[in-house]
Amino acid sequence: MNITPEALFNARRHFLKLGAGALVSSSAISQLLAELPKDLSLKYIPDSNPQNLTLNTLEQASNYVNFYEFSTDKEAPVKLSQKMKTSPWNVGFFGEIKTEQMLEVDDLIAKFGLEERIYRFRCVEGWSMVVPWIGFPLYKLLDYLEPNSKAKYVKFTTRHEPSMFPDQAKGIFASIKHPYVEGLRMDEARHPLTFIAVGMYGKRLLPQNGAPIRLVVPWKYGFKSIKSIDLIECVEKEPLNTWQEQNPKEYGFYANVNPSVDHPRWSQAKERLLGKLTKQATLPFNDYEKEVAGLYAGMDLRKFF
Amino acid sequence: MKALLVLIALLPLGFAYYKVESAIDPIKMLYSTTGIGAVVLLLLSLVPSTCKRVCHKNFLSYRKTIGLLSFLYALLHASVFVVLDSEFDFVTIFEKSLKKPFIYVGVIAFIILLFMALTSFKKLFTRFSKYHKAVYIALLLALLHSFWAQKVAGVFEYSVIVAGAVLLIERLWSKRRSYI
Repeated sequence: MNITPEALFNARRHFLKLGAGALVSSSAISQLLAELPKDLSLKYIPDSNPQNLTLNTLEQASNYVNFYEFSTDKEAPVKLSQKMKTSPWNVGFFGEIKTEQMLEVDDLIAKFGLEERIYRFRCVEGWSMVVPWIGFPLYKLLDYLEPNSKAKYVKFTTRHEPSMFPDQAKGIFASIKHPYVEGLRMDEARHPLTFIAVGMYGKRLLPQNGAPIRLVVPWKYGFKSIKSIDLIECVEKEPLNTWQEQNPKEYGFYANVNPSVDHPRWSQAKERLLGKLTKQATLPFNDYEKEVAGLYAGMDLRKFF
Repeated sequence: MKALLVLIALLPLGFAYYKVESAIDPIKMLYSTTGIGAVVLLLLSLVPSTCKRVCHKNFLSYRKTIGLLSFLYALLHASVFVVLDSEFDFVTIFEKSLKKPFIYVGVIAFIILLFMALTSFKKLFTRFSKYHKAVYIALLLALLHSFWAQKVAGVFEYSVIVAGAVLLIERLWSKRRSYI
């Protein structure tokens, strides 16, 4: 079968429109040129998927999201986020590092290259999915930033821009405190599994999935994987992450996936894999126990949940 | 008329049945559909008597039908918990789940509705109808349960609390007036 690749198909359609525009007026052309669809595909080293994980579909992963900056609903952010301007997007690097600076997302991609990581993702609410992320491990970025000896934690902050994120414009009626903050201990941040994603399923991140740059920490509950990052700071003290601040009895700083420590309102022993009507067991550290359990040796994980 | 009411009230269930196969998070979808249905119908079952006092229209004959429909939704909601969510794991249900306030608050509300449904027919109703005031406890518990069901409450959770408050305050108000 001769199927035109999506990018080519779009380019061809756009070219036809340009031709049609030329017949009408030059201003129509310049307007069309400005709208030229950006190529969203990415070049990356694919993940060989040694664990043979079955991927969820892009449709599932991009239509069922928690993005409280738009709405507490899982599907509403899809529509609400489509006008989000994600390029250019500067990320600020501050705190206990060698040189404080701002870098554009494309510069980061050029500096650190891209690879694919097929990861399990477990939400604290009890659902889970398997997603092929594209990005680079956070340690590469940290190596470049050169944190000093005072840097014990890494703090992440979502962009605060009420014109882009409607919930941030609601003041005291906002669903959560803005801007969203998350944090990792330096050894967690430097772990090879800890990942900065700029894409998924071969393409740039869709707005509702936290475009243009987000964190992915596969052995922790999904709320640690902060979206649409504005700031990355190396700090001395443990950052107070948003959900812990919101409800410290229910959400902690570590938030490691742990089937034997229940959420006060629901069990964490099993999970609902998206698209399935039956449940599956939740595994310690979301099945990354072998790789990460050592980070928490000697810690009481009931206390540090 | 009643048949039409039942038909409309059952529409969301038909819709859920049709959509469950393609749903992204099917168990959650069934929880939401049945839970929202039960709470909304429970609130609606309180409207006829308010309506009689406020706008002098008599819909009291619909009360039982609406109440039973609310119970049907609650029954399906509880079935989702036992069958799909807990997968008949009664050890976990009794040893872990029922100890969580979120769960037992919902279970108590369900037991009240079950009691009312069983005693809603002629003979038993004359004996037990005075206990049907327990519906107010069931409503408060159901609203609390729905408030706790999300990470943070949204528009629906706040709306039903406001609706419940309006219905209850009107009752207290009319009672106070009747004493004067």
